[in-house]
Amino acid sequence: MAILKVEHLNKHFGGLQATYDVNFEMKSGELSAIIGPNGAGKSTFFNLLTGYHKADSGRVIFQGKNITNWAPHKIVRLGIARAFQVSNIYPAITTYENVRQAILTKQKRTLNLFIPAGRMAKEETTELLEITGLSSFSNIIAGKLSQGDKKRLELAIALGCKPELLFLDEPTAGMSGEETLETMELVKRLNQKLGLTILFTEHDMPVVFGYAEHLTVLHLGSIIAQGRPEEVRKNEMVQKIYLGEEA
Amino acid sequence: MNRYSWLGLIFIATLILPHVIGEFWIHVAIEILIFGLFAVSFNMLFGYMGQLSFGHAAYFGVGAYATGLLMLKTSVPLPVCLVFSMVAAGVAALIFGYFCVRLTGIYFAILTMAFGQLIYYIIFQWYSFTGGDNGLQGIVPPGWLLNVKNYYYFTIFIVTAALIVMWFISESPFGYTMRAIRDNTERTRFIGINVRKYMLINFVVAGMFAGLAGGLLGPFTRSIAPDLCNWQQSGVPVFMTVIGGPLGFFGPIIGSVIYTFLFAFITGFTEYWPLTIGLVIIFVVLYMPGGILGLVHEKMDFFKFKHLTNDIDKGLEKET
Repeated sequence: MAILKVEHLNKHFGGLQATYDVNFEMKSGELSAIIGPNGAGKSTFFNLLTGYHKADSGRVIFQGKNITNWAPHKIVRLGIARAFQVSNIYPAITTYENVRQAILTKQKRTLNLFIPAGRMAKEETTELLEITGLSSFSNIIAGKLSQGDKKRLELAIALGCKPELLFLDEPTAGMSGEETLETMELVKRLNQKLGLTILFTEHDMPVVFGYAEHLTVLHLGSIIAQGRPEEVRKNEMVQKIYLGEEA
Repeated sequence: MNRYSWLGLIFIATLILPHVIGEFWIHVAIEILIFGLFAVSFNMLFGYMGQLSFGHAAYFGVGAYATGLLMLKTSVPLPVCLVFSMVAAGVAALIFGYFCVRLTGIYFAILTMAFGQLIYYIIFQWYSFTGGDNGLQGIVPPGWLLNVKNYYYFTIFIVTAALIVMWFISESPFGYTMRAIRDNTERTRFIGINVRKYMLINFVVAGMFAGLAGGLLGPFTRSIAPDLCNWQQSGVPVFMTVIGGPLGFFGPIIGSVIYTFLFAFITGFTEYWPLTIGLVIIFVVLYMPGGILGLVHEKMDFFKFKHLTNDIDKGLEKET
């Protein structure tokens, strides 16, 4: 069953057509990737799906519900969480408090004005920090973490929202080879064990072909190829405009 | 020493205080408490939500007029008047905050100031109801509060209760959501928080406590004037908070102690009060950007009240 369906989505910024008639579908439980050269419209596509930008036309349907141009917080509550390309965390509070904030929000406890937050969601937060391998940084001010750990923290924040669909915009940007591997293994586990549907963008081709079950290639705002990695690899147009130099 | 023993000691000292100082200084102490409460409510917006309100005196003034008018025109007991002050200020904050929370930064500051001036001019012009520029005179507290020492204890009781409630709010999930909005509004939206709604709730709560502080003022000074609402008055909690330190809960109170004490002391022998406070502010901003609380936190570790100032570390971390 399709968890996400996108129909004829368009978006332009001034004279630039950032998204052009995009039709896209994701099956529940899939681990997919979107690739494309810089400026292909990958981030814009994510931004349209999560309410960061408003689409000019077209529809976004999540679990049968038309969520086109909904406010971001409403989309999150419905079950779509995201991590940004440049890690987007709370730099002034601890790693633990970062994750707890997302969990308390999901648990609808943020309108509680009278009970100290310190007593809440201890187990859930600790567990999530363990899953994402951040336990040892629990009490460290998040702004002090390394780039790679910040990315992982953002993944943890997104997971704290308990999404069914997760968008990761270059989840391994700025990570060392080892960190990249660890993070992608984690993404794979989340997909396989928790059944999370995950869509990610990535520049690193071995990562893309090693992990994604399904690939979508964007170029100048439109989809030029879709399918299983080996099919996409063979696609002539893809080879010409995108993989050409690298493959 | 126990974590909160410092607070306990300070509280006991404030209880003994009126027996060791003269009547003039008891008046000053009451002002310190009232304006301290006002400044802490302001800091819910400035320190915790990260938005500078330059019209917070409007809600202080609405609270003052609510209690003042009720006491002059009805025979409602004072505690009920104070509750009404909170409600009236809260309603005003709800109406104007609805528009203010759509903006941030300098635009938020300007809009809060504009609405503050609007309230000021309404009170200033509405002679038949508010007495216009004559203000309200003869707001006499009930008999048991005529004695200034009793009014001091009454104020201590109300202010302490309000501070405890605000402390709990600052430590609650709601308080942390405010810090989250301050530190990263975008991320907060993308974990599912309706940012405007939360900012509005905080604006209303801050307005209510400003209203409570205002309500305490009338029966103390026996009269109130529209000047309580204008933008210069809105500057008072800003100064207090900057001096005391916005990143700790008690910063604004420390600021109120220094500001109000200095005011009483300096105006005793010179009219150059604005010059004096100006110099103090320049010194604080240049040499101790975290305010007094920031300085204590940094240099005087042995006081062991890190838990009261731990936000400062985080705030300074963000700056660097």
